[in-house]
Amino acid sequence: MSFLSNIWNITKRETAMIAKDHSLLLTLLIAPIVYAFFYGSIYINKEETEVKLAVIDADHSSLSRLLAEQLNNTQTIDVISAASVEDAQELMNDGYCQGYLYLEKGMEKKVLSLHQSKALLALNVGRFLPSSDILSAVTEVSLTVSAGVRLQYFQKNGMTEAIAMRETMPVSLDYRPLYNERSSYGAFLLPGLLMLILQQTLLIGLACSFAGEREKNTLPELLQLSNHHYSLAVWGKGFFYFILFGCYAFFFLNVNFTILHLPNRGNEWQLTLLLMLFICCLISFGTWLGSLFSTQLIAAQIMTFTTYPIFLITGYVWPFDSLPPAIQWLSALLPTTPFLKVYLSIVQQGGSLTENAPAILHLIILWFLYSALATLRIQRLSKKLSYV
Amino acid sequence: MNTIFKITFREWKRIFSLPAHYWVLIVIPPLLFFLYAYIYEKQKAEKLPVAIFDEDHSAISRQLIFLMEQTESIHFTTTVNSYKELQTNMREGKIMAAVYFPQGLERNIKSRNPATVGFYTNASFMVTAKLMYKDAANVLIAGGLGVVLQKLEKKGMPADKAMALIQPIKLITYPLYNPQFNYQEYLVPGLITVAMQMIIILIGVLLLNYEWKTNTIHELMLIANGSASNIIIGKLIAHLAIAWLNFILIAGIIFPIFEIGNSEGMFSFFVLYTLLAIACLGVGFLLSSIFADVMLCTDIAIFYTSPAFVFSGYTFPRWAMPWYDQYYAQIMPYAPFLDAFIKVNNMQLPLRYAQPEMLKLLCFIIITYPLAIIFFQKKCNQLYRTA
Repeated sequence: MSFLSNIWNITKRETAMIAKDHSLLLTLLIAPIVYAFFYGSIYINKEETEVKLAVIDADHSSLSRLLAEQLNNTQTIDVISAASVEDAQELMNDGYCQGYLYLEKGMEKKVLSLHQSKALLALNVGRFLPSSDILSAVTEVSLTVSAGVRLQYFQKNGMTEAIAMRETMPVSLDYRPLYNERSSYGAFLLPGLLMLILQQTLLIGLACSFAGEREKNTLPELLQLSNHHYSLAVWGKGFFYFILFGCYAFFFLNVNFTILHLPNRGNEWQLTLLLMLFICCLISFGTWLGSLFSTQLIAAQIMTFTTYPIFLITGYVWPFDSLPPAIQWLSALLPTTPFLKVYLSIVQQGGSLTENAPAILHLIILWFLYSALATLRIQRLSKKLSYV
Repeated sequence: MNTIFKITFREWKRIFSLPAHYWVLIVIPPLLFFLYAYIYEKQKAEKLPVAIFDEDHSAISRQLIFLMEQTESIHFTTTVNSYKELQTNMREGKIMAAVYFPQGLERNIKSRNPATVGFYTNASFMVTAKLMYKDAANVLIAGGLGVVLQKLEKKGMPADKAMALIQPIKLITYPLYNPQFNYQEYLVPGLITVAMQMIIILIGVLLLNYEWKTNTIHELMLIANGSASNIIIGKLIAHLAIAWLNFILIAGIIFPIFEIGNSEGMFSFFVLYTLLAIACLGVGFLLSSIFADVMLCTDIAIFYTSPAFVFSGYTFPRWAMPWYDQYYAQIMPYAPFLDAFIKVNNMQLPLRYAQPEMLKLLCFIIITYPLAIIFFQKKCNQLYRTA
């Protein structure tokens, strides 16, 4: 009973402390919601459309016009015409288009007389997404037009339409991008991004709160309230964050997912269990990190720089196996890495906790590790205080 | 002039003695920049785990498997016998994709019946899914067209005519400025420069108000003869010098070690970087002159700068964002910097192509510094009156 009342007293103290500290209020109460809507809105269209491609039509034939028209009809490309390669290059230099396609003079003539014609596609690979989208669309259109030419040839040579169709493309590729059917950038990035916002606001807020205890010399008061049970100090403080960020997680998965049209294909209870485990792990991780800083300002400054590196090394945007071994080790020490693996499996792929048992175990081990580190660190700080 | 240099020297001393300054300006940059470059050391995602789901067990399926294994991104690691097993393997993260050869594939091809090869990717990992699809499509389309080619040649059509019929329009692609699709070359300069913006603004917001926190404002005012412009210019020089030190770290150490970028566009990069640094310091000075509370100012700076990378349009283009996000991107110095940086660094164009973006950066400078001086001078005058 005394254990529970101690936890409750520390939680009340934490709530009062946050209510008085406008910086913590901003980080913990406003930032998660604003960030979730703010970042989410960037990818609300999910994919890019109408990427500008300059077409230099030196042939001016019905075939070249058909090709340009087909390109313009795709969702990805917006065709603009250019008089020459130099003009098109200049447009690209000015950032007005992301590539150009040159259709040579005599293209139709060559094709009709069974001679191969060339189309030159120059792409600005300075940016990956537009260039890769243009390449896919142009390849698809050129293959379709080529298939059309073959179809006409076979039909002219006496084949029925059905046989000519089969002869045109004897092996077709049935591409199935599972769990993100449109292969859209938004559907890929948003689920992870929302969880990153949840994690970083929790870590920054908790680290700043703990650093604030050291800066304002209120740590003895916290230890007194916990009867010098260091783990009680961790979890008394952490309980506030557990409730608050549990609510945020629920909000993100229901409100933001609905607004952004993101599917949740997994079991909601399993997802809840996973999120509870993740938040517990983050609380011990955040407390340990916060205990390393002596001022709130430095904690906020340094924790801010952890956001991008953490996201980049978890295997979400870049395959885990393609990371250097040292980075893989570092990544394995972050709760984000096993969490995102299981979370994506459940939310995107309809997976279950049992299918991801090794990652769950990994997360539990990290929880124990950081709980132990946080407790030991507070014990050390307490000893230092008693010497003083 | 002497006054300004005194303030500059004083600021250097502060940078190396105050933890809130040296952690961000001196300790974090080398660690962070090295980490960014090291993450993408492999430059490309290669040999990703793919499953074989072969119901045909024919010479054609074996040939296609062999050809796919030769590609950069595909590496067959396991075989599956059902779609359910394929999905389970994918959910467990054991495979990133699978190729499916249905029963009767070879027979259908030979008997002129339609044949289909399935390729499944885990598109919740979009980057790898796209890479594997590109490689698989190349092999399977080429394989399919090869079948047509063989048939046409058997019918007596000359090879060049048959080829022209197979591929009437040959698409020749020139991927300019990063032909290898090297991720390290692509992402690291962007990540490093966006980190520099964050570093400069996070310290910039402390340049004036932190003097109150450290109880040194009176001393500073005495040195500056009560002039806000002297203080701002003196501090600007000190921090610009540190920004240049970090430029040496980026362009002289990190880029050469990891073979990123090229030395030809270095001067243009330096000009743009300097403009970015001055613009960011201007934003910092302005915020620092308005808000007295150090933590509040830092929170605003974090909120303002942390989304810079995603808003810059580097990975997801700005034109694909809703209009309000496109406007928001414009109030950060990083957006024009990045557009210009891509031109001079990635595309190796002369600096004149970056003129519109340089003008935008100049606008930041022209707006922020006079305002910062006015606001800070007001505070200085108040301080004099109360003293």
